[in-house]
Amino acid sequence: MMDTFAALAHGMAVAVEPMNLLYALIGVFLGTAVGVLPGIGPALTVALLLPVTYKLDPGGSLIMFAGIYYGGMYGGSTTAILINTPGESASMATALEGNKMAKAGRGGPALATSAIGSFVAGTIATIGLAFLAPWLVDFAVRFGPEDYFALMCVAFVTVSATFGDSPIRGLTSLFIGLTLGLIGIDKLTGQARLAFGVPELLDGVEVTTLAVGLFAVGEALYVASRRHHTEEKLEPVRGSLWMTKEDWKRSWKPWLRGTMFGFPIGALPAGGAEIPTFLSYSAEKRLTKHPEEFGKGAIEGVAGPEAANNASAAGTLVPLLTLGLPTSATAAMMLAGFQQYGLNPGPLLFAERPDLVWGLIASLFIANAMLLVLNLPLVGLWVRLLAIPQPWLYAGILVFATMGTIAAKPSVVELSMLAGFGVLGFLMRRFDFPIAPVVVGLILGPIAESQLRRALAISLGDPMTLVQSPISATLLGIALVALLAPFVLKGMGRFKASED
Amino acid sequence: MFQFPTRLVGAAVALTLAAATPIFAQQLELKLMAPAAPGGGWDQTARSMQQALVAAGVARSVQVTNVPGAGGSIGIAQFVNGAKGDGNQLMVNGFVMVGALAMNKSPVTLEQVTPIARLTEEIQVIVVPANSPIKTAQDLAAAVKADIAKVTFAGGSAGGVDHVMAALFAGAVGADAKKINYIPFSGGGESLAAILGGKVTAGISGLSEYEGQIKSGKLRAIGVTSEKRIPGSDIPTFKEQGIDLVIANWRSVVAPPGITPEQRKTLSDAVEKMVKSDAWKEILKQKGWEDAYLGGDAFADFLKKETVRVTDVLKSVGLVKS
Amino acid sequence: MTSGDPVQPPRRVDRAGIVIAVLLAVIAVVLVWDARGLQSTAMYGMGPEAMPVLVASGLALLAVGNFVDALRGNLPARESADPVPVVLILIGLALLIGVIGFGGGFILATSALFVTTSAAFGRRAILVDCAIALVMSTLIYLAFDRLLTLSLPSGPLERLL
Repeated sequence: MMDTFAALAHGMAVAVEPMNLLYALIGVFLGTAVGVLPGIGPALTVALLLPVTYKLDPGGSLIMFAGIYYGGMYGGSTTAILINTPGESASMATALEGNKMAKAGRGGPALATSAIGSFVAGTIATIGLAFLAPWLVDFAVRFGPEDYFALMCVAFVTVSATFGDSPIRGLTSLFIGLTLGLIGIDKLTGQARLAFGVPELLDGVEVTTLAVGLFAVGEALYVASRRHHTEEKLEPVRGSLWMTKEDWKRSWKPWLRGTMFGFPIGALPAGGAEIPTFLSYSAEKRLTKHPEEFGKGAIEGVAGPEAANNASAAGTLVPLLTLGLPTSATAAMMLAGFQQYGLNPGPLLFAERPDLVWGLIASLFIANAMLLVLNLPLVGLWVRLLAIPQPWLYAGILVFATMGTIAAKPSVVELSMLAGFGVLGFLMRRFDFPIAPVVVGLILGPIAESQLRRALAISLGDPMTLVQSPISATLLGIALVALLAPFVLKGMGRFKASED
Repeated sequence: MFQFPTRLVGAAVALTLAAATPIFAQQLELKLMAPAAPGGGWDQTARSMQQALVAAGVARSVQVTNVPGAGGSIGIAQFVNGAKGDGNQLMVNGFVMVGALAMNKSPVTLEQVTPIARLTEEIQVIVVPANSPIKTAQDLAAAVKADIAKVTFAGGSAGGVDHVMAALFAGAVGADAKKINYIPFSGGGESLAAILGGKVTAGISGLSEYEGQIKSGKLRAIGVTSEKRIPGSDIPTFKEQGIDLVIANWRSVVAPPGITPEQRKTLSDAVEKMVKSDAWKEILKQKGWEDAYLGGDAFADFLKKETVRVTDVLKSVGLVKS
Repeated sequence: MTSGDPVQPPRRVDRAGIVIAVLLAVIAVVLVWDARGLQSTAMYGMGPEAMPVLVASGLALLAVGNFVDALRGNLPARESADPVPVVLILIGLALLIGVIGFGGGFILATSALFVTTSAAFGRRAILVDCAIALVMSTLIYLAFDRLLTLSLPSGPLERLL
């Protein structure tokens, strides 16, 4: 234990050298600049900017690399909050409340809670990584396909928090998402489903294309169609630009809870960042003392998912460093980056090269702090972007939203899909269907399907495998409780109400 | 201060120098397509070639473009149709593309491109968890023969090299390849977790991906797919264990259709010169890739044979309709 | 959805709601039709056709649900929408796709989208907007393509730079 502290302190001492701090700052800046493009998530940001770090000495480039990574992650949240355009699937939950806050003139607190929440969660998760990694990884590899399927069931049940008022409409949206999730090559048999002979559809629908289309393009169309009703005036700042005492009070618990969701699930080899953000969002919605604000811009709905997002990113480092397991596209890019610096993640890494591991962890820590330093002063500048006159603002948003797709996949089919999803988003807004469940369906549907089919293939078709594993039985139990609890609570609520 | 090995500092310096234009640059200005998204194996190969071609003074500039989609099916279609007759374009490809083209019923095939050279290959391995009763390839063969359904193989995507290898293993030990219980996972990470957790009987992957686990004793390697034993390694080949299973995950580079023999020679010479350069050797060492250079007609021949073999295997497991 | 309150007068049937229900049913049919073409090559467990059929059943049920809602006129009230700006933005998107498809490059494509969108939001100074759009997209192109080596599609304008 003492050794761990000593090693960490040693790594820190290196990372805070002035030159290294400068590299961290440059990394965070570059990462944010590319990461704000919708459709370019942290993985692609790191991939694109990795060559920049080649030119530095290895210590400096490792730190710059960590900065790029954190910058890329934060960039996605900034656009989610300001222009309702989640840059990556993990910041979708942030857009739900964050953008409402921005429209109500509370973009400043939203950006601040997301930056500070990311920092708090990143710090706690990094400490968790340092001390719990060996233990956590043992637990993580015990997760089999049936357990993942059960985890998906929990996620599906809690998703109803994003449904809005009518269950029929929410489910309709979810099933549209599930349908979109079926498009493309079936992962288990290699056969094409719903591709209709279009080769570009073989890889399925890109989550970011769908999210950017539904959220950003759909919204621009919708606002344009209603221009004759109300000249929507955006006030960039109403009240305090900075977080008030009340905001802090309402944020700190969601930060901690988000971390608790994000870190362990991120450490699971197939956990990902989306599930913890959704779980955190629905948990905050259930626990909040201000349920009336949800859907109109509740700060808990930004603080929780943002913390969960960042904590899960640190969580993915657990299997990466201890097993050499890259469990996400971002982690795979980080692996490529580490190898560049002679760091070969795997079971022997902690034992053989503790200096490198602690240097890396210290770098991540410094980069995370640098992110805060760079972004908090910029909050005021960012929110003033909303003061741009409406025609230019929305024209800019559309250029920006399409640009991510143009850079990532410059094909006519992909851009047409983006436009098509924009129309879908417009129609759904017009006919009052919730948007978020579509994206949720697209993300969770395919994972749930493949894990279920893997579980059944291993058990030779015996469905009992789903309840024989203790983990999966527990999770399915939780899902069942979560499914029934609202009805029971509603009944009790009525009972209470009639008593009053 | 955490110290970095000096060799790597050297490499970093070499790469920095590589970025500068060398004095001996010829007039070649190449466009190199990676038919995959940034970050993957083909993309890394393309970007490494970019560095090495420039550093070796073979080309003045190399522009890498990414055309991702469907195991390279989209990239090759664009390459064959868009770059026809252009002697300044190249595309990276590999084993996975052969299966992907057959499975996606692609109208474009590898017969249409002009083969240039095979560059690298990776040896495949079958592993079992350390506590598994299976100790040798013959043990696994016996288990497969006893009840093929109960032996679950974890590996990469359906129709990829891991899947083909599982089918070849079953065929080589005299079992019905159609009946293999192959469980595709997305990426090596997820399948490794399933193997370590004892959810599946055996795992198939590239050797380098599991090397750390094998060394640390968490996984037992029961055989590698090379022709001869890897120098310095104590993992036996399948051949020495009496199972005829030789396969490698290769990567190569091809040119568009319809180029002149002179253009083909220029490109082949350029690639050959690059392969022999120090810059390329340094990259291979750094990335842990195995040099498997095979140029000219020998490569064309290899490509043809490999296409036939893979397509046959995929037909036998029902992934490609005959 | 069983709030058949007899006191409330029956509201008008919502035609858009009926169309939505029919569309959902059509998607369900397409799913089943597509799934029938799949071969169950998986030897063990579930085949690739099971999930589409499951989703299709769900969609069919939801089609019925939406249909009932529409008949009852249970849909939320809608404000009138102005089709002109929507069409303008869609033209902008079509221009963007067309210009990129025909190799016109990033700058022209995004400028077209910018100008049409800003016109959709009521700007009439087309020439000024054109100038703003060209300058802005050129700067974006230079920053991302040249400085950050993101490859953006190039056309005649980009080659001049």
